[in-house]
Amino acid sequence: MLKFAISRIIAAIPTLFIVSVSVFFLIRLIPGDPASLMLGDLADAASLADLRSRLGLDQSIPVQFTIWLGNILSGDFGRSITSQQEVLPLILGRLRVSAEIVLIAVLLASVIAVPAGMIAAWRQNSLTDVALVSIATVLLSIPAFWMGLLLLLLFVLKLGWLPLVGYVSISQDFMQGLLYIILPVATLLLHEIGVIMRMARASTLEVMQLDYITHARAKGLSEAAVMWRHAFKNAFGPTWTLIGIVLGNLLGGIAVIETVFAIPGLGRLLVEAIFARDYPVIQGCLLMIATIYVLVNLVVDLLYPVFDPKVNAQ
Amino acid sequence: MTRLSPSAVLGVLLTGALLCAALLGAVWTPYDPLGLNFTLKLAGPGAAHWLGTDEFGRDVLSRLLTGAATSFWISFLTVCLAVSAGTVIGIVTGYFRGWVDRVVMMFNDALLAFPGILLALGLLAIFGANKYGIVLALGLAYTPTVVRIVRGAVMSLREREFIEASRVMGNSNAYTMLRHILPNCIAPLTVLATSMFGWVLLAESALSFLGLGVPPPAPTWGNMLASGRPFISQAVWLAIFPGLCISLTLLGINLLGDALRDKLDPRMRH
Amino acid sequence: MKRIVLSAMMLGLLSPQAMAQTITASIAQDVRSTNPGVNRDDTTDGVVLHMVEGLVGYREDGSVGPLLAQSVDMSADGLTYTFKLRTGITFHNGETFSAENVLWNWTRYMDPATEWRCLAEFDGRNGLKVESVTAPDAQTIVMTINQPSAVFLDALARTDCGMAGILHYASVNEDGTWNQPIGTGPYKFGTWKRGEYFELEAFSDYVTPAGSAPDGYVGAKKPLAEKVRFYVISDPETIKAGLLSGTVDLAAVASTDVPEFAANPDFNVADSVDASKHTLSLQVADPLLSKVEMRQAIAAALDLPTLVTQVTNGSGRPNNSAIFPQSMYYSDVQKQAFAHDLDKARELLAKAGYKGEPITIIANKRPTTPSFETAVVAQAMLQAAGINATIEVMEWGTQLSRYFSGNYQMMAFSYSSRFDPALSFEQFSGPKDTTSGKVWNNPEALKLIDEGKAVSDPARRQAIFDELHTLLLHDVPMIIYSNGVNDIVSNKRLEGAVSWQSKLRLWEVAKQ
Repeated sequence: MLKFAISRIIAAIPTLFIVSVSVFFLIRLIPGDPASLMLGDLADAASLADLRSRLGLDQSIPVQFTIWLGNILSGDFGRSITSQQEVLPLILGRLRVSAEIVLIAVLLASVIAVPAGMIAAWRQNSLTDVALVSIATVLLSIPAFWMGLLLLLLFVLKLGWLPLVGYVSISQDFMQGLLYIILPVATLLLHEIGVIMRMARASTLEVMQLDYITHARAKGLSEAAVMWRHAFKNAFGPTWTLIGIVLGNLLGGIAVIETVFAIPGLGRLLVEAIFARDYPVIQGCLLMIATIYVLVNLVVDLLYPVFDPKVNAQ
Repeated sequence: MTRLSPSAVLGVLLTGALLCAALLGAVWTPYDPLGLNFTLKLAGPGAAHWLGTDEFGRDVLSRLLTGAATSFWISFLTVCLAVSAGTVIGIVTGYFRGWVDRVVMMFNDALLAFPGILLALGLLAIFGANKYGIVLALGLAYTPTVVRIVRGAVMSLREREFIEASRVMGNSNAYTMLRHILPNCIAPLTVLATSMFGWVLLAESALSFLGLGVPPPAPTWGNMLASGRPFISQAVWLAIFPGLCISLTLLGINLLGDALRDKLDPRMRH
Repeated sequence: MKRIVLSAMMLGLLSPQAMAQTITASIAQDVRSTNPGVNRDDTTDGVVLHMVEGLVGYREDGSVGPLLAQSVDMSADGLTYTFKLRTGITFHNGETFSAENVLWNWTRYMDPATEWRCLAEFDGRNGLKVESVTAPDAQTIVMTINQPSAVFLDALARTDCGMAGILHYASVNEDGTWNQPIGTGPYKFGTWKRGEYFELEAFSDYVTPAGSAPDGYVGAKKPLAEKVRFYVISDPETIKAGLLSGTVDLAAVASTDVPEFAANPDFNVADSVDASKHTLSLQVADPLLSKVEMRQAIAAALDLPTLVTQVTNGSGRPNNSAIFPQSMYYSDVQKQAFAHDLDKARELLAKAGYKGEPITIIANKRPTTPSFETAVVAQAMLQAAGINATIEVMEWGTQLSRYFSGNYQMMAFSYSSRFDPALSFEQFSGPKDTTSGKVWNNPEALKLIDEGKAVSDPARRQAIFDELHTLLLHDVPMIIYSNGVNDIVSNKRLEGAVSWQSKLRLWEVAKQ
């Protein structure tokens, strides 16, 4: 197990390297220049040249890359071009905020969606099934920026139950933190329920076609026992993989929700950095997101045997 | 073989309706979808404009019809691109394993870890912000997911008896992959492709919300949904109608996908 | 019942007594830094200028008045400026303000290590050079410059230069790096939770300049609230919900939301007009657009008053001049406009030999400028005149780089505020071979602009600017159609003018 984990981590190093290289060059291929964006249309040639040389943008791209890579290896992620903050503490602070929302939402979504998907599969083509599938599809087809706005209008404006903006970490003050986090979590949750429910239904259906379920039924086991002991354990594997992918993707894709609820998270940081061409921040965010992605998938793979006894981690 | 289930019939009907709307939108619309009318801004649904007008006085129904064609075409091409590229890479790497597999998967994982927004912005800037730029950007963003899923399926298939049998019988690798492996990947691929169709419709909408996306004068459902958002209290129909179109299309395509899978999956043909 | 209990609980949690005297505003992006004139954007200037003040500041009409100075005198040859300083002024840390502070600040700003964005305006690289700064006594500063300039004081007052704000030494760390602003403004630095909010506290020992009401950045400046908090909210819909729920007292809203708030008895709507310019810039180096008839045809094809009404939902006023309407130089000549005449447009097109070549208008979808809306409306109007216009929408950073490289035909582009007319014209004019980002390269115009920068006599300046405007209407290097309008909605609980030049200005504003 440990050996497997270590070899996986070593195998991830080239992946992270590829991510860093491609980010570095991709963002420099995108037109737009951080110096002129910072100075706006006011830029005159003299101050533009000043700023460019201060930011090190007047050097050739390979030179810039070598400098950046050397700094990263010594633990220096550089400073943000727009806010002058150090990139690593900035990213870690923002990551905590996003991770809190994403983890809670995905956990709750799995708890709700996996059983729902299995019930739909178990009662395939019944009214329950069609209703659950329709709900999942409708949830899937409402973009997060709409869902968030609707929740916000209902709970903040109409009912006045929840505060509009702000953020308190739930690890600092649980009750306060909860108030601020409910709406973003709910928005994300409603969308992920759709995704996970569909996957759970599909993999349960797949499993139920297999011979041993028929055998189990023939043996006269109760339907509940068949579902729990045989179907669930086997159907959860693929769903678990998907939850891993979802978790990894969300950290990069949560920007929309953080924009709607004015939450200082990683997603918004990345989007704002992209618009400002804040190269050090973009590079740092991407490296962080890729690392998390690798780690999450490692954890998922390590835990896979717990859910699916047939599969051995090696 | 057997009669279709009610949900399959619903799927066929909804998808058929989408195709008809797209075809109709390509040849005829009640008004010019780009024609401005300053005297009729944000008019509610009525006799002249069945689904109302938008903030420039453009007819919403005409824009929905034109948008059906654009949205369908973008989603269709993106899914085709991602599925065909992903399937080829997934089958080849999953079948041969070895160092090719390891190197390809390294790039694949790197691409998977890349946030879609950044990829889209980069590729749109390089290829130009047009329909095909979006198709390339989203297609490239979705390919690694397809690769992962196909490769997973192939790896479990290649240990199965009938694959072994095909090899023992002296069939070439290409023949085995085409004749025996590919058909067994169709089932997960249909589910994935139909889900992806929906992702594309919405991804395009999220890109519009964040300020990227298709050049907006050409209507797509996604950018209509995003641009209707500021008018939620004055003209809610601007978002409701494209939203409904997207929901119904997704429902139709998902149901159709499930029905297709039941028909195509070899294990389910009893 | 349950709802009432729950709401009461929230109220208890969210509005402790201290909040009552806090004015809450919303800003679309976080403050970049608190270092005046160094790392800034318009939003940042708006917040920072509550804390720091310069020797001089803008008045409402775009002229420059004394702020920390009591008076400013220019010598007859235009080379020596004498600033008499106000007495009895203290910094936020209680230290007394005197000429010595001005000398220290000037040395700091002129040091390249400070990274002051306006350094090039004063060290000779852009022509003007400050030769010496001395303090004959504790209440007097004398500055000498290398050539007569009509824009020297204007440059000192510029908000993007941070008003060359006077700071106490303790604002910087021992190694010279920036710490936090200790200025003389009506509000002082409170707390800053990055990405969430920026909070100012009233400076109780503030001594207001003379005047019964605020006049631009001078005039009365008393802090009337205990605190001012700026929330960072970028989604316009969330901002709207914030206003309606009372979380936010004032904010800029989309022009489409103005009718709704205007009809709501709980809110005031103020159209804050500023000196920024909304334009359709033309590339005069483009083969097609290099023909003046072609550019004139485009101007004649556009019904600009209708365009302005449409893109600003009725809150904007048409203005084709580079000078903003509140300026003392906004004469009758400046009011002359491009004439909308479709027949003339077709005639000009024929003269230019136009054969239906496509013309692409580049636009962006930033919520702060009507760029995209302008492109859509202009496209329809141009098509009606037989011009084959298309639209290309791009992200702002990409558009800006296209602007700088000159790689475009038409662009819906906005320029930030310039109060002095000469600087406003200069903002978009210059030779193409050295500055590809400039739009207007007519040598005759460039000569007039240089003269406008040098002479101080208002009558002569007026004549120059009027000549420039006439030339602009004939040359059509760009079509200026309107000035910026910010629709600022404020809760009726607030009393006082909450903004000037589209920046929030929260001194002399009280909350009931």
